Amino acid sequence: MAGSNPQRERILARVRAATADNVPTTAPAASKAPIFAEIPDPLERFLRECAANLTEVICTRDSMESAAACDRVLQSLPPGELFFQDTPVFRSWASHVDSARTVRWSSGGPPSESTQATFTLAHGFVAQTGSILSSSLCGGRGASIVAPCHVVFGTTEQVVADIDAALQIANHDLLSASYVGLISGSSRTADIEKILVQGAHGPLRVVVILQAAS
Amino acid sequence: MSTIPLQEFLRRATEKCADLTHRATIQRNIDSYDVAVAKGKQRFSDWEAARSRCSEIKAEAIAHLDRYLEQFEGKVKERGGHVFWAETAEDARQYIAGLAQSRGVKTIVKSKSMVTEEIHLSGALEKQGAAVWETDLGEYIVQLRNEPPYHIVTPAMHLTRVQIAQTFREKIPSEMNGEEPPQLVAAARRKLRKAFFSAEMGISGANFLVADAGMVAISTNEGNGRLTTTLPRIHVAITGIEKIIPRLSDLATLWPVLATAGTGQPITTYSTLIGGPRQPGETDGPEEFHVVLLDNGRSQVLASREHREMLKCIRCGACLNVCPVYRQIGGHAYGTTYQGPIGSVLTPNLKPSAGFEHLAFASSLCSACGSACPVRINLPHQLLLNRRDAMAKTGQSGSRTMFRLFRWTAMSSVRFRVMGWLSRKGISTAKALGIAGSKLDPMRPWTQYRNGPEVPTQTFREWWRTHGRQ
Ligand code: SF4
Repeated sequence: MAGSNPQRERILARVRAATADNVPTTAPAASKAPIFAEIPDPLERFLRECAANLTEVICTRDSMESAAACDRVLQSLPPGELFFQDTPVFRSWASHVDSARTVRWSSGGPPSESTQATFTLAHGFVAQTGSILSSSLCGGRGASIVAPCHVVFGTTEQVVADIDAALQIANHDLLSASYVGLISGSSRTADIEKILVQGAHGPLRVVVILQAAS
Repeated sequence: MSTIPLQEFLRRATEKCADLTHRATIQRNIDSYDVAVAKGKQRFSDWEAARSRCSEIKAEAIAHLDRYLEQFEGKVKERGGHVFWAETAEDARQYIAGLAQSRGVKTIVKSKSMVTEEIHLSGALEKQGAAVWETDLGEYIVQLRNEPPYHIVTPAMHLTRVQIAQTFREKIPSEMNGEEPPQLVAAARRKLRKAFFSAEMGISGANFLVADAGMVAISTNEGNGRLTTTLPRIHVAITGIEKIIPRLSDLATLWPVLATAGTGQPITTYSTLIGGPRQPGETDGPEEFHVVLLDNGRSQVLASREHREMLKCIRCGACLNVCPVYRQIGGHAYGTTYQGPIGSVLTPNLKPSAGFEHLAFASSLCSACGSACPVRINLPHQLLLNRRDAMAKTGQSGSRTMFRLFRWTAMSSVRFRVMGWLSRKGISTAKALGIAGSKLDPMRPWTQYRNGPEVPTQTFREWWRTHGRQ
């Protein structure tokens, strides 16, 4: 199916012939002006943007507080299956999970249709937009989208100023991943009369447990 | 000029202009868009510089399209993906339908893609027995109503919650649990979740193809794009060849600009990059990843120095929202995949023999579209070029004679004076005889919708003689 594709050469030949004149489209002179204001305090901005895009952020001072925050999130969840990215921190937190719940680990496969919440790490957090930099290396592709609640753990050291910085991380560390993405709040739609409704197809609730850098 | 699309356009436009409910719905939606975009632009320290940057990125990509497409293809293949180059809509349909058939695909989920609308993909897949689910809420609503998308970004913009609830009651009654927007969204979520988890193939579009990373960039808010590209065992991304951008870092500008121009958001909720099928050691993801690069007339547009800037379009929908014509007649009147100003400039060039030349005239040339365009496409100029092309092609002898007559008249002050006198007498006589606005009126195309001009009591020359030197 993917082998023979004679159209490839024909399209490329037409493209080459069309651009041979080397006349650019009507682009204005190169623009070097900064397009965004500088972000003097990325952490403050990150918290502000998360509040605006409806991401819950729980700031903690150390690992004890982070574990306690995770416990509180767990208590607030409806009954049902949980999914964790298989990492030491989540192995330790998951030991507090009510034994009535099924727990899945990313090492054993993806979350299921009935998973209530997923717990993953992140590669970074973007102050400019209150985004989480995630990838298929964070427990898989489905881990950040399948369940009604997505809980992310990270540290303040991971907060970067802007999208450009996040893309540099992606360019440097994540190009082997099949998926990389910025997640900026809960799933939402305004397709009905422009009225914002949360929880369209992805998580209704996104929680970041953000631990202070040690 | 083929008369059928033209007459259909005039019929629908007339109908929609007179539909006050429709106009109120559009007005309300676009008013809230205007507020959101104005607020969104304030997040930029220099919105105009951002527009220039985006324009440069796209212009560079288009100037070296072959090189960037090959670079993109190489990277996708390195990760085990397939790239298919489709010259025509038929080629793309055949490839995807053949793929679905050979892999025994019965259920397909789609995230929003205007290119799949352009090539009429769903119909071809359904013809061979596959169930195709649109998963973007707006697309799902119009699919249930058997309508084409009304707007390239918000496909169900023309519908009220009452109309949507009515559609859901008829089509998915078992999922209904109320008629307010949250309950309607929940009903669609419940229904489509079953489709997501049973689909063997997911089809997405792409907002950008990133050459240096070999990744497809998809912007969505609902998360349907993420599920479409994650859960089925085959993912097909189809898009036009012009969607290429040179570098991953370009998205630092393009993502926020697209989101702001499209909806007023700082960035869409899910700004996603897909580079291949599930990689060794990954937990999940499709086993197969196919990218279909569609030409379908784009290389012809590229060959025209005058028109190639149209290929910079990032399909944000801003030009539709600001267009006073779109605001009155709405998206369905155009009868095209891409509506509004971008549709009017693009369609006659992508489909030169389909009879859409008249769309160049569906504009007041107010320039609002050009000022709104985040990649600085000179849309009013493109509309004028299309008007010129349409006249050359269709050779409208009536208009041509009129313009020749006007030119001849305007080149002599005596002739101008005589023609002015004749015109004034003609209008007065027509009014006196009661034929102004009637079927006998030669000005009827104008006067049937508008009041005819009042004959001034004094000519400009007479006025100038008394006031001009004061
Ligand atoms: S022409 Fe410009 S404003 Fe219109 S959809 Fe394309 S990018 Fe947006």
